[in-house]
This record gives sequence, structure tokens and C-alpha cells, in this order.
Amino acid sequence: MSEFKSGFFVGGESSNGRVLIVDDEPDIRKVVRMTLQKAGYDVLEAENGEKAIEVINSGENRLLLDVIICDIRMPKVNGIEAIAYFRQNYPRVPLIVLTGFPDTDMATSLLRQGVVDYLVKPVEGDKLKASVARAMEQRELAHL
Amino acid sequence: MVATSSPGAHLRRRSERIEPVPASPPIRVAIVGGGRGGTALLDALHQIGTIEIVGITDKDPTAPGLRRAQEINVTIYERIADLIKIPGLNLVMDLTGDPAMKSVLQEQLMPETDLVSGQASRLLRTLVQHESALQTELLHAEKLAGIGSFAAGIAHDMNNPLQLILGLAENLTEETDLDAVHLQARDIIDAVKRTTAICRDLTSYSRRASLRQDCLIAINGKLDEALKIARYAVALQDIEIRKLYQPDVVVKGNPDELLHVFVNLITNAVQAMEHHGTLTLETKAMADATQVRVSDTGSGIAPELLGRIFEPFFTTKPPGKGTGLGLYNIKNVIHHMNGTIEVESHVGRGSTFVLTFPSESSAGERTTPP
Repeated sequence: MSEFKSGFFVGGESSNGRVLIVDDEPDIRKVVRMTLQKAGYDVLEAENGEKAIEVINSGENRLLLDVIICDIRMPKVNGIEAIAYFRQNYPRVPLIVLTGFPDTDMATSLLRQGVVDYLVKPVEGDKLKASVARAMEQRELAHL
Repeated sequence: MVATSSPGAHLRRRSERIEPVPASPPIRVAIVGGGRGGTALLDALHQIGTIEIVGITDKDPTAPGLRRAQEINVTIYERIADLIKIPGLNLVMDLTGDPAMKSVLQEQLMPETDLVSGQASRLLRTLVQHESALQTELLHAEKLAGIGSFAAGIAHDMNNPLQLILGLAENLTEETDLDAVHLQARDIIDAVKRTTAICRDLTSYSRRASLRQDCLIAINGKLDEALKIARYAVALQDIEIRKLYQPDVVVKGNPDELLHVFVNLITNAVQAMEHHGTLTLETKAMADATQVRVSDTGSGIAPELLGRIFEPFFTTKPPGKGTGLGLYNIKNVIHHMNGTIEVESHVGRGSTFVLTFPSESSAGERTTPP
């Protein structure tokens, strides 16, 4: 895994990075938080795309957010709409899709749009952490 | 078919009960024999607008055909002679299966009345039973075809608890705090129960409609059950759902078939709204009828299409997305329940499907569990 840490650039942070999990299921947010916190990440949560946009636009998150993990099927602003917003407004923040529904066409389309990974639930903790680590490397490259 | 217009420039109303105006007077039919054959024929002929069933008779006052006749307001005659001498009667159908009945009837018939008896009536009864079996098969086939569209919803609802189970189980391999272990084990058990409930709902829904006799159905509970199933087919999270339920409303029919009707109507309504809008489910018991209204605030139905929506294989969906049998099957189920279905639609503002059933008294009768 890269030694890069977002805190290194903005100061004051000691974690491996800051990850936002966007999912309408509290249980999913809970296990993703559990897995990533044990791997040393700060984890933020949003229950839909609308909340996620609020989170990323609030305070230091504009600068400190390293990775977004996003579900697709959500109320209000769904994953597709949220991802389009993130790609347009925060193109340097890597995105991972974590969805319950395997859809090849959607996966291809999202990967073409620059999504780092398309993970289908249930995904093992190691695989999720590896995916986040890959995304962190992309984040690092984006800063160079 | 005749469409009656309602107030408003674009509001259109269509009832599947309004049959084409017949060019000639209806065929007036009398049924002799209220056993299984007579009941099946009564049900079949009752649905045809160009046939008028003037009455039915059976020597056994408890014959099922007589009970059915009472339900659908067909006159019951105690004496054969009174029935077959009705002026203007075109046809007598002998479904008694009694070889002696043919000659008895022939002696008493008016000259202008024809008789179907013996092997001819056996053939007719076989055709009616075959048609009824086909309808059942068609309903089931359409239901199974619809379940294909549940894939996204099922995957979503199954894989989310599976993710929780996997995540917690992985954590448990390293967890040392006993309280946390207990808590997470309980979460896993709850998640497994949720997953099991999904399988139970779907296997129950996908089974063939039971052949048991019609019973009283608690309609509010059936609408709630349909909402649970419909959410596999369509995303409901951005739909505002208004339930205007009158308590303890019941109708008589087959609960499996009625569930299918409600799932179809709710799915259509949500699709018409493109997943944003208000779905209103309303039940109302009136003096002589029970009404269910399913309304959406979606795109509405174009006036030129409104007259065709109950036709078999008519669909506005792209190829492979709809069988065109949904509303056709709904119409048949509602007919079987002696009800009517009407639609009011306003392009750009939405549609309301109004189901009206004969009123039922719930006193002392069996209802399906909610």
C-alpha cells in the first residue's frame, strides 16, 4: 500500500485517509465503517446521494476526502446521479461502486467514466480494503 | 367498446365492462342443471356481453350453480317449465347429464327455442373447462414472466443482509470482547431472518394460484402485501405512498389472484411515474359495493390507447419488457370476482384504476390472514 496519506498534505491527520461511504442501508455503512476503521481509515457516512453531496461540500471535506464508496440504488439522488456530480465537481476523488445488483452494462459504463472499482455485495473485507488502497494510489497520483 | 368522456378536456375514462354495442339482440339463454358443468358454463357465459342468461334451475336447491347464480344476480327458477317457457328464449342448455332430460325438455320447448343437450352439452362443458384452465395457465405464465423484472430488487434486498453477515462474521474471527460478539451474532441472526423472509415472500407469490374455493379477503392487508412484492420490481424509495384505507374492508375471491392484480397495478403505477410521484391506495366499503382505487401521478394514458389497454398482448413497453397480458389478466380475475375495473386518466397528470366488487358481509365468514 502507498505511504501517501491525505493528512500529509493538509496537516493534522494521522489516519490512512478519509473515506465516505454512501449507502441507504445503515447496516452496510456500519460494516464498511467497521472494516475500514480497523484498517486505519477515517470513515464518513451518507444515506443517499443528496447527503453525500452535502458531506463533500462541507468544511474540510472538500480537501480531505480521499475516496468515495457509493451504492447505486438509493432514494432522492441515486448513485448514478451522485457519481456524475462527483466526477464533474471532484474529478480527483476516486470512486468505488459497492452495489447489490451486478449489472455488466452499468459496470462497463461506470468504469469508462473513471470509477476505480465496481464491487458487488457481499464483498470480503480484504477485497474492499485492497480496492480502497488502489483508489488511494490514484488519489496520490492525482496530487502529483 | 365505448369510451365515455369525463369532465376535463383530456380526461378519459374506460371501463372494461362496457362491451361493444351488439348489432343484434343478445342471445337469451336458460341453463338447466346447477352442478359443476352448469356452474362453469354460467361463469363463462356471464362474462360475454352478447349473451343474456335469463335463468337457471336445478332440482337440488343447494346446487353450487344456484349459489353462484345468486351471487351474480341471475334468476333462479324452482320449476323447469317456468324457465323454459320464458317468451323470447333462444336457447336452453341442459347440463344435468340425465339422458331422460332431453326428451322432457323437447316436449315442453317453445318452437323458437333451441336445445343443447347430451353429447353437445358435454362438448360445450369440456370447452368451457379447457378455456378456464387456459386462463389459469396464462395468469401464471404472465406472473412468472413478471418475476424476471424482480432481479434487481431481489439482488438488492438479498445482498445487503449478506454483506452485513459477511462483514460481521469476518469481524467475529478477531473480536475478543464477549459483549460485542453476542451483539454481532444477534445482528447476523436478524439479517438471516430478513433474507429468509424475502425467499418466503417470493416463493409464496410465484406459486400457482390455489384452487381452493373463493373466500373473503381482507383487502387492506392484501394491498400491503402487494406493496412488499412490488418493491422488488420497481424502486419505491422516492414514491410517496398514501394509504386511504377504510378499516375491515373485505371482498370475495381468490387471494392469490387478487394479490397478483394488486402487484400489477402498483407496478404499472410506479413505472408510469418514472419512480417519482405519489401512489395512492384507497379502499372504501359502500352500501352495495366495495371499491379499491389505485392512483398515480404519472404520465397518464393517451386517449387513443385507452380503449386498448385491456386487450391481450397490448403493451406500450419496449420489446422484451412487457408481455401485454397484465391488464388483460387483471380484467379476467376481476370478472371472475363479479367486479368491474375502470380507468380514469389524464395525460401528464396520472391515472386511477377503480376496482368495484359486490359488497360482502364479513360476519361469520372466513378471511385470509393479513
